[in-house]
Amino acid sequence: MILWIFLGLISLTFLIYFFQILALRKKLKEKIFSIHLPAISIIKPLKGLDDNLFDNLESFCLQDYPEYEIILSLENQNDPAYRVAEKIRNKYPDKVKIVIDNSSKALNPKVRNMITAYRISKYDYFLISDSNVFVDSDYLRKTASSMTEEVGLVTNLIVGTRGKSIGAIFENLQLNSFIILSVCLLDKFLKMPCSIGKSMLMRKKDFEEIGGFGAIRDVLAEDYQIGRLIHEKGKKVVLSNYLIKNINEYWSIKRFLNRHTRWAKIRWKIAGVKYFTEPLVNPIFMAFFITIVSGISSLSAILFLSSASIKIMLDLFVIRMLKQKIGLEIILIPLKDLINGIIWFVPFFTSKVNWRGNKYVISKNTVLAPAHENSFMRTYLRLKTIFSH
Amino acid sequence: MDIFGQAGFDVIAITDHVVNGDSMIGKLAWRFKLTITENNFKEYFENIEYEAERAWKKYEMLVIPGVEISKNYLSSDKSAHILIIDIKNFIPACSSYESIFLEAKKQDALIVACHPHHMKGEIRNTLYLWKNRGKYGKYIDAWEIANRDDVFNVVSLKKYPYIANSDFHKPRHLYSWKTLLNCEKDKEAIKKCIKHNKGVAITLFRG
Repeated sequence: MILWIFLGLISLTFLIYFFQILALRKKLKEKIFSIHLPAISIIKPLKGLDDNLFDNLESFCLQDYPEYEIILSLENQNDPAYRVAEKIRNKYPDKVKIVIDNSSKALNPKVRNMITAYRISKYDYFLISDSNVFVDSDYLRKTASSMTEEVGLVTNLIVGTRGKSIGAIFENLQLNSFIILSVCLLDKFLKMPCSIGKSMLMRKKDFEEIGGFGAIRDVLAEDYQIGRLIHEKGKKVVLSNYLIKNINEYWSIKRFLNRHTRWAKIRWKIAGVKYFTEPLVNPIFMAFFITIVSGISSLSAILFLSSASIKIMLDLFVIRMLKQKIGLEIILIPLKDLINGIIWFVPFFTSKVNWRGNKYVISKNTVLAPAHENSFMRTYLRLKTIFSH
Repeated sequence: MDIFGQAGFDVIAITDHVVNGDSMIGKLAWRFKLTITENNFKEYFENIEYEAERAWKKYEMLVIPGVEISKNYLSSDKSAHILIIDIKNFIPACSSYESIFLEAKKQDALIVACHPHHMKGEIRNTLYLWKNRGKYGKYIDAWEIANRDDVFNVVSLKKYPYIANSDFHKPRHLYSWKTLLNCEKDKEAIKKCIKHNKGVAITLFRG
């Protein structure tokens, strides 16, 4: 009887997975006919070295777009990314500016890094773009085309690419399955606004109406917050189907774990009880869990192995839909999904996050407090989080 | 080359190993073709020149050709590694130390003693040059004061000219000790700066 229930659960996970794939398929087929090419200020907050940083930054200098500027913003000149920024500025002096400022007191380091860049940006439209993305020359044109009158924010789908180390391969497999599929499901079927911090195009007028940087300075998920506030203002949040590449080449497993435990904590703090539905999109972990609960038997082993095989095939199908190359690394998919199954539990035990060297404790809606707060403050935040759910 | 270019570096030296063939360890390196030889040196040099041109065009990064003469023996006391930076012609690792140094000088190359002291976690060190510094010190333009994560304070105590190297073999070795030079981005100026050892600083590079 229990086994039948478990079998039903696994079937449900694959059914949801099927709908996710359908959502991605629908998203990729969307066509945009508008030709709207406003002048844009691209703001790129930099901190530390990302894989492929030089090429990532240069790809923004090579856009086939009539009028735009790029502002590279850093907190200090000793940041290793400064040397790369300087070389890019020297190569494209007409397009690129560098801003160095650490005077802001915002707790979100990315927001802190962008405030001055935003202030000196000269156009009415601005695009926040992370330093770890690489784009083709038609990116700006295609992204801006989605920015019509009723739209307040245009964001993009991301694909992970070029993994060379185990950590980077895990990262890219996760981006190219769970992350992209979840985003598409929320966007296409659940009609929830999805904003992805790696690429966000907005009008300054709309941004300032929702409170500007003041509204997001002390939250970790500033991208989610911007999307939510713009949506609440009655403007559309559009997920463009233009795929931007997140280059992850030499990640360590530690870095992969750090990013996904951070993201899991963010989802828990934002989604609340809805977070409990997440294991339903991880059939491999579900099958593993069943094997453990029901005891290892030939039947549970068959169940686990067939779930793993089907998941590998479906992920392969998704990766091909995204026009990404994949080789033998597909055999790492079950391991990656099991790790993610374990990561799912982490937010219940800790609210601490470490983001590019900054340590925080997060509470509901990812509100930040420095991690060195005293134990009383930490207990207060923890209790607040528990009772808010 | 691209890993350093993407990270914004100004100068790198590519120094693959030229291994001695007169010891058991050396013979293994030859057997598995893990060494630059007289036969493939020209191709090695041409590849570096090609990459140097690409690096300059794309990143404005200077790439200097070199080799790491590797005299490997079972005993740490007998082993030594020597960087020959800005090499022009092949130098065999089986030659005597004097002939290697004199040939390098003839080619106007820079001679650096690699990881000259005890390194953490290494079973076999390369101590020959340090133990014979009285005899060979006059030929050596600079000593490695830091290599990857190791620091050799003996170099500083003896007040020898110094540089720091990443000893790059894997991408994670990018994050290691590096040298900062206060000179023009030019091969001759760089060699001169290291030799004179004025305006040289070391830094632990962390991405």
